[in-house]
Amino acid sequence: MTTMRRRAVPYLLISPTVALIAAFLVYPIGSVAYYSLQHRNLTRPWADGFAGLDNFRRMLFEDELFWHSLGFTAKWVIVEVGLQLILGLALALIVNETFIGRGLARSLVFSPWAVSGVLTTGIWILLYTPSTGVLRFLGQPEAAVLGNPDTVFPAVVVAELWRGVPFFAILLLAGLQGIPGELYEAAAVDGAGRVKRFIHVTLPHLRDAIVLATLLRGVWEFNNVDLLYTLTGGGPAQETMTLPLYVAQRAVDSKDFGYGSALTMAGFVILLFCSILYLRLSRFGGDR
Amino acid sequence: MKLKVAGAALAVLAVAATGCGSDSGSDQGSGKTTITFWDNNGGTRTPIYQELIKRFEAANPSIHVEYVGIPISSVQQKYDTAIAGGDTPDVGGVTTSYLANLTGQQALEPADEWLAKSSVNGKLATSMLDSVRKTVPDGKLYLVPNTSNMDVVWYLKDKLQKAPDTWDEFFGSADELTKKPDEYGYTIRGGAGSIFQILAEMYSYSGISEFFDASGKSTVNDPKNVEFLTKMAGLYKKNTPEADVTNDFPKMVAQFGTGKIAMMHHNLGSYNDHVKAHGKDKIGAFALPTGPGGKRTIVANPVDGFAVFKNSEHKEAAWKFVEFLVSHDSNSYWNEQTGQIPANTDAQGDSWLQGLEHLKTAVETLNDPNTQVVSPPYYLPQFSSITKADTEPLFQKVLLGQMTPQEFLDTLAQKLTDAEAEWKKATGG
Repeated sequence: MTTMRRRAVPYLLISPTVALIAAFLVYPIGSVAYYSLQHRNLTRPWADGFAGLDNFRRMLFEDELFWHSLGFTAKWVIVEVGLQLILGLALALIVNETFIGRGLARSLVFSPWAVSGVLTTGIWILLYTPSTGVLRFLGQPEAAVLGNPDTVFPAVVVAELWRGVPFFAILLLAGLQGIPGELYEAAAVDGAGRVKRFIHVTLPHLRDAIVLATLLRGVWEFNNVDLLYTLTGGGPAQETMTLPLYVAQRAVDSKDFGYGSALTMAGFVILLFCSILYLRLSRFGGDR
Repeated sequence: MKLKVAGAALAVLAVAATGCGSDSGSDQGSGKTTITFWDNNGGTRTPIYQELIKRFEAANPSIHVEYVGIPISSVQQKYDTAIAGGDTPDVGGVTTSYLANLTGQQALEPADEWLAKSSVNGKLATSMLDSVRKTVPDGKLYLVPNTSNMDVVWYLKDKLQKAPDTWDEFFGSADELTKKPDEYGYTIRGGAGSIFQILAEMYSYSGISEFFDASGKSTVNDPKNVEFLTKMAGLYKKNTPEADVTNDFPKMVAQFGTGKIAMMHHNLGSYNDHVKAHGKDKIGAFALPTGPGGKRTIVANPVDGFAVFKNSEHKEAAWKFVEFLVSHDSNSYWNEQTGQIPANTDAQGDSWLQGLEHLKTAVETLNDPNTQVVSPPYYLPQFSSITKADTEPLFQKVLLGQMTPQEFLDTLAQKLTDAEAEWKKATGG
């Protein structure tokens, strides 16, 4: 009896966690997976029923917009995460130096991160709208940057950078402060200049922080809805349509929950696959 | 001491029990019935309903109305969620543009029997009642009309001296009133809500009287409609701001409010916005210009009104509130505040309406036997998603020159034709 009790204790202890995971992860994912195999469209209730792989066939072979949005999502994630990493690292290096007013500089660097997503887009909409925006002062009173297919991408990239760079700066600064000063001293004694110290001391020590930040940010940018939805709604003419925005359009606006679920599953599988691959390739957390 | 603790516990329990009583339903203590009302365009209209609810509660002390203002942009989604969760309001503002969607989910209670016995029977505009009944397959009255609307072109009187009668005159004025660098003759709605406006313009230009021909094929891509869209898309950036491609209603009104745009197509509903920006005397309105042979064709606007939900536990009280809202005084007050066409025919004759030029013109135009009214297929549950999510981005492509008007209208026509065929098959029609 006592052995049985003793055996049950660990299971009992992890049961709350298991229950929470089941309720908040397994059930929602399972329900999306279930609906992805169903025809479920509120505007065509007569056609509801089991769909098999029909939604996936439609997605892969008939829906140009799926591929278009996927292509844009890839471009968006790569450009955003790449630029955020470079600029975030640069900012972290600057505010890691000792200078007068460093505290103020640090708070300023991090402040955009504290602004809520919808507020951020509100600010950028005002900046980009012809009648209220900044371009009036550059002699372009009527330029509609968000309405022009040539300028809309740089415009949304800049807006998201403003919000995303501080995230990298915070994480990388924390990493920088964990690097022992002696290493730099030793490198200097060995005759390493600034560049060499950066490459051989700073970067290797920041590896885990960089991997973690890019991975998290990559997933977030992939799933970014608030900024693009409020700023452009995926437009003009679907120019800035990411996969999650397309899901929102299909499932929420067109009420096609079956097909929307299939699109969501596609996004889920892609993210899962990319994350595993990335962690493997970067040997995250492993011994050097 | 023990007694005191027990007493306190009992008191807490009692408070909790009464406090946790149902938020919608009979409040046993006061004998009041609480009904929930969802305003389908919460915001600027909220004070109007607050006033009407105050009047209703004064006349019906046993009923309490809980007001919930839902933003117009998310109202369909809110209803869908509420229906899925079984948590619908007792009364809701509903328009014919998504009525079929709600009745398709069996969410609403027909009002025919109530209306037959009501004091407002015979007082509601027949055209609006017909429009509502035509929207649903069983022809019942799931929505009691409160108001309707008409498309007009608003203009600034100091820029445009004479309202154009024909579309040719309109295009001429749009060009004349454009003055570089930043004065424009017209503004196109290129963002949310664009398709309905372009439909209204096309049919008034072509004079086509039906959305589907006898064989069930959509008339949207008729050569005359293509001809119109080609002309209209040609105005973009030539006589309109570049930002128009993403213009939704608030942006369009804001642009017109700057005073740099001479004409703007919307409906009667934006009157107050224009008065606020420009003052009453500067604003004029004309009905969409006439088509071939001077014939006027109007695409029927959705009828906006109130519906009692099937799940309501207090249907009698809910109906009482609806009846009150469409009665002469309330309906008159509501429409005077919003500047729209009252459904109550007694209210249509009120003096405030006769004093508003644009509204008088609208009522006369609508009641003119020579005016031809085309009804869009609001009964198609897919109509809303076809004319919004599916084709609004494509219209932007037309403006940006990435798609021809012909391709765009062919696509739209195909979707409508398919939806019509599917609908007929599903309803056995």
